[in-house]
Amino acid sequence: MTINLERRSPVKLKGRPVKTGIREGRQIVSGYAGAGKGLHIVDLSHFSRWDIQDKRLSRIQPYGDMIPEKPGQIFMDKHLLMGRLNATQAVAWHFSELKPDMPQTQAFTDITDAAVALALTGPAVYDMAEKVCALDLADPLKTPPFLVQGPFSHVPCHLWVLDRTDSGGCLALTCSRGYAHDMVNSILEAGAEYNVTPEGEDIFRAWLGWGG
Amino acid sequence: MAFTITCPVCGIRRGYEFRFGGEDKGPMPPEESLASETWCEYVHMNNCIAGIQKEWWFHRDGCGSWFTIYRDTTTNQQVENR
Repeated sequence: MTINLERRSPVKLKGRPVKTGIREGRQIVSGYAGAGKGLHIVDLSHFSRWDIQDKRLSRIQPYGDMIPEKPGQIFMDKHLLMGRLNATQAVAWHFSELKPDMPQTQAFTDITDAAVALALTGPAVYDMAEKVCALDLADPLKTPPFLVQGPFSHVPCHLWVLDRTDSGGCLALTCSRGYAHDMVNSILEAGAEYNVTPEGEDIFRAWLGWGG
Repeated sequence: MAFTITCPVCGIRRGYEFRFGGEDKGPMPPEESLASETWCEYVHMNNCIAGIQKEWWFHRDGCGSWFTIYRDTTTNQQVENR
């Protein structure tokens, strides 16, 4: 007997989806009506995230070569982000439409359903972030992409600073799933003065040059 | 920002991000022929140094690391490792 599981994102964004689909039992929104050129909030919770832990991460196959050497560093490849957390831990984040097969070894744990993942793209991303986060995400001594672990709206998060330019940037953040509702509300409230609007995953892919 | 702690993974952060883990009391006493008084002494009794002491901290809101620092308890400032 085949069981079709329906999976739901912890995030509910107000807006009228115009481009949707079903992927791995999840409703995916690729685009919203009326999204302007301003600041966008994007739900990325449906993309696969794996926790990788081992005392010798560089030996993990087949991803060992992609795991950065130092905490805070990010490896970016086609549809893959790999962030180093500490001496023994890293996170892999896949953005391909087809769910990749996770290696069945003790080092890997699928944490997709345990977390909420959001992206903020467009102008004034870091101005908005500064309202709810005391960490210096615009540190000129750090060149994107880099990963910061710390509180965002008082919630422990992984903050992925993926792009930062004069005209804007792209910041992705992940935290425990239970914080989803409050995290979205916090961002919408802090971003109100920057006209933050919900957008689909296409804009995130486009921002990183991964196509629509 | 009165109190900052340098996390070995994340660097200097606000003290609010951390949880205090108590004085560093060194390794546990050996379990072999351990007297309850010795264990009680190890677990419950602190030196409460007025000055520089070695102590454990946990980066609760950040990377989740446990580590030790030296802190001057009279000024509440982290000092160089000794």
